[in-house]
Amino acid sequence: MLESTETNSEPFILLELAGTTYGVRSRFVQQMEMIEKITSVPNAAPSVEGVVLARGQVIPAVNLRVRFGFERIPFDLRSRLVVIKNGKRTIGLIVDTAREFINLSLGAIEPPPDAIRGLSGKYLEGIATIDGRIILVLNLDEVIELDTQINEDGAGVIA
Amino acid sequence: MAVPSPKQTDIIAATGLDRLRDQVQQVTAGVDEITRVANEVHEGTDAQTRSLDIAVSVANEMSASMDNTTTQSSSIAASAEELASSVNETGASIQQISVSADSLASAVNEMAASMEETSRSIESVTGTAHEMATSAEEVTSAMHEVAASIKSVSQDTEALTSSVNETAASMEEVARSIEGLSGNADQLNVAAEETASSINEMAASIEEVSAMSQNLATSVEEIASSIEEMARSVQGVAQNTEKVTEAAAGASVSANEMDRSLRSVAGMTSRAEEIATRLTREAEEGGAAAQKTIQGFGRVRGSMEQSAVVIREMGKRSGEISGIVNTINIIAERTNMLSLNASIEAARAGDAGRGFAVVAEEIRNLADRSAQATADISAIINGLQEVVQEAVAAANEGVRVAEESGRMAEEGSSGLQKMLTGIGETAQIVRQINRATEEQLTAAANVVTAIETTASQTKQISTAVVEQSKGAQEIVKATAHIRKTAKEISQANLEQSRGAREIVKTAKSTTVVANQLRKATGEQSIAANQIATTIESMRRGAVTTSRALEEQAIAGEQVSKEAERLARQISGVTRAMSEQARAASEVASATQSIRQQSAQIAKAVGEQGRAMSNMTVATNNVSKEITFVARSNRDHLNGAQQIQQMLKEIREITERNARGVRQTLTGSSGLRENALQVGTVIEELSQSANDNETKLTGSGQRNNGRSRRPRNGSKKLDGDHVRVFSDETSESQKE
Repeated sequence: MLESTETNSEPFILLELAGTTYGVRSRFVQQMEMIEKITSVPNAAPSVEGVVLARGQVIPAVNLRVRFGFERIPFDLRSRLVVIKNGKRTIGLIVDTAREFINLSLGAIEPPPDAIRGLSGKYLEGIATIDGRIILVLNLDEVIELDTQINEDGAGVIA
Repeated sequence: MAVPSPKQTDIIAATGLDRLRDQVQQVTAGVDEITRVANEVHEGTDAQTRSLDIAVSVANEMSASMDNTTTQSSSIAASAEELASSVNETGASIQQISVSADSLASAVNEMAASMEETSRSIESVTGTAHEMATSAEEVTSAMHEVAASIKSVSQDTEALTSSVNETAASMEEVARSIEGLSGNADQLNVAAEETASSINEMAASIEEVSAMSQNLATSVEEIASSIEEMARSVQGVAQNTEKVTEAAAGASVSANEMDRSLRSVAGMTSRAEEIATRLTREAEEGGAAAQKTIQGFGRVRGSMEQSAVVIREMGKRSGEISGIVNTINIIAERTNMLSLNASIEAARAGDAGRGFAVVAEEIRNLADRSAQATADISAIINGLQEVVQEAVAAANEGVRVAEESGRMAEEGSSGLQKMLTGIGETAQIVRQINRATEEQLTAAANVVTAIETTASQTKQISTAVVEQSKGAQEIVKATAHIRKTAKEISQANLEQSRGAREIVKTAKSTTVVANQLRKATGEQSIAANQIATTIESMRRGAVTTSRALEEQAIAGEQVSKEAERLARQISGVTRAMSEQARAASEVASATQSIRQQSAQIAKAVGEQGRAMSNMTVATNNVSKEITFVARSNRDHLNGAQQIQQMLKEIREITERNARGVRQTLTGSSGLRENALQVGTVIEELSQSANDNETKLTGSGQRNNGRSRRPRNGSKKLDGDHVRVFSDETSESQKE
């Protein structure tokens, strides 16, 4: 299911976070929710806000801003919980907003430049440009993976 | 001394007698003193009575003389009154004289006129007489030849007779006239004396006139100076009048200008009245409008408050809208999310979900547009709410301003009300001014006419004043002349006065001469009588001769004689006529001089009358004063009579005093007798005491045989004392 039968374009959900647009493959997005009630959980990582109940499913909600090292902002109407399902894992990513659904040509996605390969590059699959907009395409495996490896938090990034 | 008690009694009686004797002696001495004093008083009263008699007699004399004086002064008063009345009568008679002198003058005038007529007729008679004379001469020459011889004798005799007759007649006339002259001389003498006295009076009146004319001269000086001043002031008046004329002309011009300006003022005031009326109306309208404005401001405030409420309501509503918009926003967001979810599901569905994906896309677009719209609405509503806040603030401000405006409008209204009353007063004043201006207009018209009249009158006055000035100059000249004349009159009066004194002298000498003349005429009269006697005898002779000649000439020379007589008579008539004519002319001239003299007399009589009136006044004053004197004399007399009365009373009192003194004397002499009798009694007592003593001692001493009868209650006396007393009594009796 991960490889699209489509010729060379794939639908993407565009997220907004701290003024930057990120692209997430639509096939990994199960659903999207308004942020209503987050039940906080003890001893969670700083980026984990808590758990939410979505479509009968309790899923963790990760504040992507905290995850990416940006400052927290209060939630509002535009804040979204993007529910990602990768394999067996389901996780909710709290972003500033997510409002667009586009078909992105795969050819337009280029690998991230060497200069930002390191930690940041691990989360990024590539950078696409469309109509002059720069869209950072997220490597969801890494994002989710990192998310699961709670204790590797900072060390993993350095290594 | 066997019995001592009677001795003691004697001693006591002797002591009492001694004391009694002393007292009697004192009484006697006092009585003597009284007698002496009474005598002196009597003498004094006698002397006083005598002097009072003298005083009374003197007072009587004085009273009598006062009486005399009073009667004399009364008679003087009476005579002064008589004098005054006689002076008045004299004055009246002098006035009558004056009147009669005037009538005399007129009669003399008439006489002169008739005399002139007589003279003229005499001249005409003389002319006819001349003619008659010529014809008579012709007759006479014819008759001369007829009776030549007779005529020669007859003529002579006739002439003689007639001349004797004429001489006798004329002599008689001379005698008569001499007698008349004598009478006249007497009268002349009297008249000369009267004239002398009246000339004296005249001289006095001339002196007065002289003084008066000097006063006149001084007053003429004053008048002259005041007339000169008047002339100067008249000239000043003339100059002033010219100025007044100019001023009147100027006033006329300015009055006309004033009239014009008053007319324009009247027009302006009537316009002002109209304007004031209109202004009043407009101010009333403005007042009403201000009232309406005030009400409008009230309404504005109300509506402002309402609008503030409304705006607040609107703000509230916009809040509600904002909520709704929020809801819409939520819906839009959710729609967007759901459309994204749908798109994800459609993508999952593959080709089957391709249509759905499109729908989801459209839904998402709509949701985005909705969100956009709600964002816009939110922005609008936020702006709207700001505006609402501002509007509410503005509405509150508007309410405040409306309140202030209402207050100010009320103030304006009250000011307008004041303005209204002021305008009403102004209108009234303007109406009054209008009325006053109309009155002023009529008054100004009157003023203009009056000023014109004044101007014309002033011109007339100017000319009159110029004439006056001329006249005043002439008056000044005339006054100078009068002044000169007055001086001359004064001088002449002084000379007259001197002349009058000389006339007085002359009149006196005239009186002397008149006396001489009287004497001389008396002598002449005697001589004339003698001549008349002589002439009478001559006439008798001549008559005898004439009778003889007449008898001779009767027959032949009747005609001749007649002719002769005719001719002679005619010539005599002619002569007499010419003499008459001459006499008539002389009479005329004499009448003329009489006329002048009578005029002078009239003048003098007038002066006499004036003098007489002065004298009357003086006499009246004298009479008054004499009356005063008589009255005060009477008062004096009354005083004197009172004095006399008082003197009489004093005299009576003195007489009474004298009577009292006499009574005193009588009483004192009686007292003296009594004292003597007392002395005698005492002596007898003393005697009897001695007798008693003698009986007691046995050696009786009857040396006093004068004591005859002892009195009742007589006391026994001590012999020594009695002896002493009797000695003293005898001494006092000797006294």
